[in-house]
Amino acid sequence: MAAGQPFSVALVGGLNKSTNSSALLKTPGVATKLRNFEVSDEGTYRRINGFTLFGDTLPNTTEDIEGLLVYADGVIAVAGNDVFFSQDGESTWLQLNKASVASSGDNYSAFTGRSELALTSVDQCEFAIFEGASDFGEVVITDKSGNNKPFLFKMTGTNADVTTRTFFASQITISGDTTAKFCTIHDKHLVVAGDPSTPNTIYYSSTNDIDSFSGSGAGSITLEDKVVGLKSFRNELFIFCQNSIFKLQNINNASTIAVVPVTKNVGCLDGKTIQEIAGDLIFLAPDGFRTVAGTSRIGDVELGTISQAIQPIVNDIATNADTLQFSSVVLRNKSQYRMFYSTVAESQFTAKGVIGTLRSNGFEWSETLGIAAPAITSGFTSSGVEKVYHGDRDGKIYNHNTGNSFNGTNIEAEYQSPDYDYGDLGTLKTLDYVKIAFTPEGDCQPSLRVRFDYDSLDSPQPADIVLSEIPKPALFGTAVFGSQKLGATEQPLVRQILTGSGHSNFFKVFSNDANAPYSINGLYVNYRPSGRQ
Amino acid sequence: MATTYLDLTNEVLRELNEVVLTSVNFGDATGIQAFIKDSINKSIFDIANEEPQLPFFSAGASGDTDPFYGNVTVASVAGTRWYTLKAGSSSITTDFSSVDWDDFYLTTINVSGETTPFVSKGLRFLTLADWKRYYRDSENADDAEGSDASHGEPTYVIKSPDHRKFGLSPIPDKVYNVHFYAFTKPTSLAAHGDTIVLPEQYSNVITARTRYYVHQFKENIQQAAFALDEYKKNMRTMKSNLINPTPKYMTDDRTYF
Repeated sequence: MAAGQPFSVALVGGLNKSTNSSALLKTPGVATKLRNFEVSDEGTYRRINGFTLFGDTLPNTTEDIEGLLVYADGVIAVAGNDVFFSQDGESTWLQLNKASVASSGDNYSAFTGRSELALTSVDQCEFAIFEGASDFGEVVITDKSGNNKPFLFKMTGTNADVTTRTFFASQITISGDTTAKFCTIHDKHLVVAGDPSTPNTIYYSSTNDIDSFSGSGAGSITLEDKVVGLKSFRNELFIFCQNSIFKLQNINNASTIAVVPVTKNVGCLDGKTIQEIAGDLIFLAPDGFRTVAGTSRIGDVELGTISQAIQPIVNDIATNADTLQFSSVVLRNKSQYRMFYSTVAESQFTAKGVIGTLRSNGFEWSETLGIAAPAITSGFTSSGVEKVYHGDRDGKIYNHNTGNSFNGTNIEAEYQSPDYDYGDLGTLKTLDYVKIAFTPEGDCQPSLRVRFDYDSLDSPQPADIVLSEIPKPALFGTAVFGSQKLGATEQPLVRQILTGSGHSNFFKVFSNDANAPYSINGLYVNYRPSGRQ
Repeated sequence: MATTYLDLTNEVLRELNEVVLTSVNFGDATGIQAFIKDSINKSIFDIANEEPQLPFFSAGASGDTDPFYGNVTVASVAGTRWYTLKAGSSSITTDFSSVDWDDFYLTTINVSGETTPFVSKGLRFLTLADWKRYYRDSENADDAEGSDASHGEPTYVIKSPDHRKFGLSPIPDKVYNVHFYAFTKPTSLAAHGDTIVLPEQYSNVITARTRYYVHQFKENIQQAAFALDEYKKNMRTMKSNLINPTPKYMTDDRTYF
C-alpha cells in the first residue's frame, strides 16, 4: 500500500467567485461557496446566527416594513404609510406620524389623541439623527417614494416608561411642496435631496436649525447628475449620484462653500448601500463595492473595487439593480458590512445578501440566503449595547443576528472548498480520512460532501456523510450544568473516514438545521497517491 | 447464498477504499468502479482459462442418463464419422470450453430397437496424427464403397483440428449413444444480481485477481504482486479441493512371469 500523505489547509480568505479553477489550486483556504456563513473575527468560516421576532406585536399588521431606526432604547419602524415606536414590540406600538402636535411638545395622552399625519405611498426610508441637546436627538425621516416631505420627530424624557415622555412631530417644509428621498445631517445642517421635480438639487437647512430651509445658512445647490444618496464623512458631505460622486465643502461658509467632483466615472447603484466602516465610506457601484477613500485618490492603485473576489455576484446584482430593493448595515462588533437585496415580490426564502468582514488584508466576503430585509438598522442603546434589527415585507421586525434559526426556519448553510490537487493534478489520489477543525458554539451536526475531479460525472462520487454530533464543550467559568459536555474539546478535530479517489476533490460542509453556529477552522486530509493515470 | 456481481464489486471497492455501488447505480458505474466491474469478469475468465475443468463449469449434472455419468450424449449416425460436440452451437465462441477426451463412452443401451447383448465400452482417445497415420486412408476407402458393411463398431474417439467436433473410428455402422463429459465457457456477469458459478468460499480467488488488476491500474506494483501471490495461492487451494479430492492409488500393471 502506498504511504499516506498529509495535506492541511487553514480556511481563510472568504468567498472567491472570480478566480478560475486552476488558479484556485494555489489558494486552498478560500471558499467557492460560502452561504449563510460569515468570516469570523478569527478569519475562519462561521455559520451565521439567525433572527428572532422582536416582540409578538406587529406595528401595522402585515404592512411592509419600510424603515427601522434604533432610537430611545427602542425602535422606530415605518410600516406601510405610518411611523411607530416600541421599546420591546410586545404591546401596541405607539404611532408617531401625528398632526398638529404642539411646538412645545405633547405629553403621551395628548400625543396619542392627535389625528394622524397622512403620508402617501411610503417607500424605503432614510433616517438622520440630529443629536443636538435633546435626550435622544431629533429624527428626520425621508422615503424613496418622493411623495412626502421630511418628517421630524423627537422624544424627550429618559424614564423607561414611555407614557412619561414628551413627543414632538411635524413635517419639514423645504420649499413649497418640495419633497425629499434622501437625508443626512452634516455639520449642523440637515441636507436633503431627491425631490422628483429637482432630482439634481440638494437642499441644506439653516445652521443648527434643521427644520428651517429659509434661515441663515440655508441654501441649495444644483448638480449635473441625479442624486441617489448622501453621506456626511469627516468634514465633507459626499453626494452620491447615478454616474458620479461629489463632495460638498465648507457648508458653513457662504463665500467658500463648494461642490467638488470626486469622480465622474463611478456612480452609486443605490443610496441604501452606503455605510461608513473603518474610516471609509463603502457603497455599491455598478462595478462592485467601492470605498470613497479609495476612489477619492485619483490615480491611486487602490482605486479598484474591494469586491473583486465576488465580482460575478456583484455583476448579477448590477444587472438587476432596477428591480431590487437594497438595505445595508454595519455590525460594528464584527467589523462587518451586510447588504441585503431582493425584489419586492420575492419571498424570504430566496432573498439574498452579502457579508463583507473587514480583515487585516481587506474585506472577505460571504453570502446570505433566506433573509429578506428591506429595512435594517443597527445602533447603540443608552447602555452602550449594539442592537441590530431588520424588517421584512410581512410586517415583522426581527432581532438580527440572534438565535440559531431564521425565526424557526432552518438555516441552510454551506461552505465549499476549491478543488485540492494536493500538489499534483496528474496523480490519482485515494482519500483515507479527513480531520475537520471545528469550533462549536453548541451541539451541532453538519454534513460532509466530497466530490472528485470537479464533480465530474465520469468519477464515482461518494454519498453525503452526516458527521458525528459535535458537542458543546464545558468550559470552566461559563459551563452550565446539563447543557454542555464535560471533556468535550473546545476546538475538536472531527475525524471522518472517506472513500473514493480522483485527481482532485473538494469538500463541502453543510447544514440545514436550527442547531448552534459553528466555525470551520481548517482541514487535514490523509490521502494515498495511486499512480498517474 | 450465491455471490452476486454487486457483492463482488463492492467487496473490492471497499478493500480499495473506493465508493461502493448500489443496485440502482450499478449500471451507471464510472471510472474505477467500471474498471473493477470489468476486472471481475476478466478474473473469472482467467480462472476458467487456467483450469477449465473446475466442476462449477460443468455443462450439466452428471448421471442424467443413468447409469452413464457423462453430462452430454450424442447419438451416432450410421456412416457418419464427425459430430459437433455441442449441439446447436454455431461457432467456437459458443462451443464447450473443454471436453474430457479421456472419458468417452459408447453404448447401444437405450438406443431404440437395440436388445441384449448391448455394446457398452469406453472409447480410447486417438490423436489425430495416429489416426491419420494408421486408419484414415483405409477407413475412407471402405466408406467410399457405400455400404454399412464397410463400417464398424467405433473403438477410438478423435478430435477435429478445429476443436469443434469429435470423430469416431471406425465410422459407426449403426446408431450408438456416445456419452462424454464437457465444460462450458463462463458467461460475463452483466446485471447487478447476476451470480457467480463459484461457491462463495472461492470468491476470494476472483477478488484477489481483481485487486491484482486494479493495483496495476493504480500503478501500485507492490500491491499488485501481493494480490497476484494471493490469487495463485487461492487458485491452488481451490484446484486442490475441487479437482483432486479423492484418494490416490498407485497401481502396477506389470505382468510377472
